[in-house]
Amino acid sequence: MAGHDLIDDYLARLARHLPADAVAELADGLAETYDRQLSAGLAKDAAATAAIAEFGAPEVVLAAFVRQSPGRRTALILLACGPVVGACWATLLISEHAWTWPVPAGLRLAFGLALVAVVAALAYAATARTAYRRTRASAPGCLVLLLLDAGLLATAATTVPALRWPFALAAAASLTRMTLTARALPRLFG
Amino acid sequence: MKAEAQALKGHLDALLLATLEDGPRHGYAIKEALRDGSGGRFDLPTGTVYPALHRLAAAGLISGSWSQADGRRRRSYRLTPAGRRRLAGDRASWLEFSTTVTALLEGAPWPATT
Repeated sequence: MAGHDLIDDYLARLARHLPADAVAELADGLAETYDRQLSAGLAKDAAATAAIAEFGAPEVVLAAFVRQSPGRRTALILLACGPVVGACWATLLISEHAWTWPVPAGLRLAFGLALVAVVAALAYAATARTAYRRTRASAPGCLVLLLLDAGLLATAATTVPALRWPFALAAAASLTRMTLTARALPRLFG
Repeated sequence: MKAEAQALKGHLDALLLATLEDGPRHGYAIKEALRDGSGGRFDLPTGTVYPALHRLAAAGLISGSWSQADGRRRRSYRLTPAGRRRLAGDRASWLEFSTTVTALLEGAPWPATT
């Protein structure tokens, strides 16, 4: 730590929300800012206050971390493309009379509930403002979404009698989203 | 200055990449380079520079490595080959855009319309 209570309190506040590596990096930058202020001739208290002012209020810093977090950005992208993928699948399911498919009711219910849970997790991450931990909700959301896409795709592939354009459209939409999600996962769990 | 910070939006990534063109720097040094290079006009809250650097690192445009300095853990960043390509592209786009706007603002003749 930088050696001043104000700075230690500031970092402790950030540490309640941010990963340890991010806090260590901020601590180094803040210590250097503090040292510069001391070198400029300020007394310890004034130097600490000036260093914190230069760094930005904790809410400002936390909001910047949240805004640029991979969790929130991925959640926003998936929520934005969700209606498009959903429309593609709705076209297929309606045109193929999916309600006649031999899928157990329990499985249909589980799929629906999982989809609602995924949307809720992504919305929770996407609407975070200063709570960095909320952005992590998108990681399990993405994982479940990947499984749902794969399951839906496998079910349709084995049920739809012939390759028709609604299936090709839905498959392309899901495969695109699966690629996007799979690429984001290492950053979300990293 | 808030007006300058607002103007910086959309250009911050290129400017951050440019600060690393001559070699690795840590977060505070990057912020200082941005402030000093702009004559003090682009003076962002230091704490907000770090998440932007993390985003650039996640995108593979810069890479970070840890070391020890003054008894503290310090993360320094350097441009990756992808970052250099992005910087070159952003620089060319900006030069073309700014040259066009400057020409128009400084009185180049507008095309006649009917």
